[in-house]
Amino acid sequence: MDLPAGTRNYTYAQDMAIFRTKTHWTLLIGLLVVLCTAPLWWGNWLSVANLIGITIIAATGLNILTGYCGQLSIGHAGFMAVGAYTSAILTERLGLPFPVGLISAGVAAGLVGMIFGMPSLRVKGFYLAIATIAAQFIIIWVIKHWTDVTGGHMGMSVSAPALGGLVLKSNASQFYLIGSIAVLSIFFAKNLARTRVGRAFVAIRDNDLAAEVMGINLFRYKLIAFFIGCFFAGIAGSLFAHWARFISDEFFPLTDSILYIGMIIIGGLGTTTGPIFGAIFIGLIKHSLTHYLVPTLESSAIALPAGFASGLAPMVFGLIIILFLILEPRGLAHRWQLFKAAYRLWPFSY
Amino acid sequence: MAELLQFTITGLTVGMVYALIALGFVLVWKSSGVANLALGQLVLLSSWFTYGMLVQAGLPIWAGFIVVIIFAVLLGWLIERFILRPLIAQPILSLITITLGLAYFIEGLVVFIWPASVAALPRLFPVEPFHIGPAVVSQQYLWAAIISLALFGLLSLFFRYHRMGIAMRATADDQRAVQACGIPVTRIFSRSWMFACVLAAVGGVLMSSIGGITFGLVGTGLKAFSVVILGGLDSFLGAMIAGPIIGLAENLGEGYLTPLTWPGVREVIPFIIIIIVMFVKPYGLFGEERIERI
Repeated sequence: MDLPAGTRNYTYAQDMAIFRTKTHWTLLIGLLVVLCTAPLWWGNWLSVANLIGITIIAATGLNILTGYCGQLSIGHAGFMAVGAYTSAILTERLGLPFPVGLISAGVAAGLVGMIFGMPSLRVKGFYLAIATIAAQFIIIWVIKHWTDVTGGHMGMSVSAPALGGLVLKSNASQFYLIGSIAVLSIFFAKNLARTRVGRAFVAIRDNDLAAEVMGINLFRYKLIAFFIGCFFAGIAGSLFAHWARFISDEFFPLTDSILYIGMIIIGGLGTTTGPIFGAIFIGLIKHSLTHYLVPTLESSAIALPAGFASGLAPMVFGLIIILFLILEPRGLAHRWQLFKAAYRLWPFSY
Repeated sequence: MAELLQFTITGLTVGMVYALIALGFVLVWKSSGVANLALGQLVLLSSWFTYGMLVQAGLPIWAGFIVVIIFAVLLGWLIERFILRPLIAQPILSLITITLGLAYFIEGLVVFIWPASVAALPRLFPVEPFHIGPAVVSQQYLWAAIISLALFGLLSLFFRYHRMGIAMRATADDQRAVQACGIPVTRIFSRSWMFACVLAAVGGVLMSSIGGITFGLVGTGLKAFSVVILGGLDSFLGAMIAGPIIGLAENLGEGYLTPLTWPGVREVIPFIIIIIVMFVKPYGLFGEERIERI
C-alpha cells in the first residue's frame, strides 16, 4: 500500500493496519457518521441506497470469486435467487426467525455454487462461463416449475425482516441492517485478500499451474472461492427478498448476472473498493435513467419510439461495459488511486 | 413409433440449424481465441432485421436476403473493428466480458427498435407437410436442414481450397507463424467475425421461419453453446455432429420426459448436457485437449 509522504512503519501492526493516518481516521469517522444519520436526511434516496447496499454485497462476493480467484461466474443472479428463496421459504413456510433464514440463505447459495463450481477444476475461461450460465438457467427453471415450494410464476410474498422482537419495516430501519452487513462484508473481503486463502486465490488467478506447483490445492481453494462468492450472493439475495417483500423467478435474470460482472469490471477487478464503486455507479445510472431521464423525455414534446423506456437501460449498460473494457480496463478503483496519488503529491507533481 | 420418428426428425433437423450457428462460434474461437457469448443476441438481431426488411420495408424475398447478408457482413466488420480489435492480446476474462457487454447492448437495441415481442416472417418455404413413413414433418424443418448442410459443405470447401480459408485455418493453428508469413492477422479476425454474423443471420432466419421471431431466439444461441461444448470448441466436425445430438436430446426429452418432470424441460436439457459434459469429458467429443505448460 502506498502511503502519504512522511508516514513510516515502525511495527508490523502499523504495517498491517488499514487505517493509518489521522486523515484516514477522520474520513472513516465522517463516513460512519454520514451513514448512521443517513435515514434522517436522505429521504427518498434511502430505497436507492438500500438496493445499492444489497448490490454491493453481491458484487463483493463476485469480486472475490472473479476478481481475486479469476473464476468467471455468469450465474450470480441465479445464486442470489437460491439465497432469496431459501430465506423466504424458511421464514414464511417454516416460520423460522430471520437471522436463521439469512445465514442458511448464504450457506445454501454457497453449496449450490460449489456444485456448479466443481467443473472449474478441469476447465476454465469460456468453459466455466458456460457452466455458470447453465447454473443460472437450471436454477431459475427449478424455481419457476417447483410451484409447491416456490410459488413458481406467481412469486412469493415475504415478510419484513425481524431481529428478535424488532420488525424492520421501513426503508430507514432496513438501511441499518443492510448497511451494517455491507460494511461487514467489505471489511471481510478486504481482510480475506491479505490472508493465506486470499493470496492463494490471487496465485490461482495469475497462473493456476504455477500455483499448484507451489503447493496450493487447486480443487480446495477454487471450491472455497465459489463457496465464499456465492455465500455473499445468498446473503444479498436474502436481504433483497426481505427488502422487496416479494420475489418471483423474473427478478433474477441472466442480464443481472451480466450486470454484476459489468459492475466489478467498471469498479476494478481484484480491488476492495472496486465493487463499491461499480455498484454505486451502476445503481445511480439505473435510478436516474428510470426515474429522471425517461420521464423527463417522455413528458417533453419529442415523440419517442415505443421501445425507448425498456430498451435504453440495457443499451446504456452494454455500452458502459464495452467502453470501460476498452478505455479503462482497470476500472474506477484505478482512477481513484491515480487521484489519491495526485492529491498527495500536489502541488509538486514529481 | 410414429411419435418417436417425428421427434427424431424434428430434433435432427433443428439440430442442424444449431450446428450452423455453432459453426460461427467455432470460427471466431479458432481464428482469434475470442469466445463470442453474444451469439444468441446476434441471431435475434438479424432475425428482427430480416423482419424489418421483408415485412416493414416490403422488399421481395430475394432482395431482402441480399440486404440481410450485407447487413450481417457489416455487423461482423463493425464488431471486430471497434469492439474486439482494441482488446487484442487481453486476458480471456476481458474478451468474454466484452462480448457479454455486446450481448446486453444488442438486446437493448432490439427492444429499442422493435418493441413488439413477437413477430412472424413471411412464408419462405412451402407449407404442405411432408410424410416420411408414419411421421408428418412440416417442410420448413427439412429446408432448414438442407440449407444448413449445404452451407456446411460450402464452408468446408472454402476452408479446404480457398486462399482465405487456408489462411484462416493457419491462423487458428499458429498466429505468430502466420503473421511472420505476411498474412494480415487482423483481416483474418475480421473475416471470421463476418462469417460468424452471416451464419448467425442464416440460422436466425431459418429458426424464425419455423417458430416466429421471439426472445426465444436468444435461447437458440445459448443452445449453440451446448453444441460447441459437446462437440469441442475448436472442431467444425464436432459442431456438425453435436448439433443434431442436442436437437435430438431436446426433442426426445420434451416428448418423453415432460410427463415425468415439469413442463418446459426442453429449455434446460442443453444446459444439463453442458454440466454433464464438463464433468465427464470437458473438452468435448472432438475438441483438442490443451496441454499447458508454465
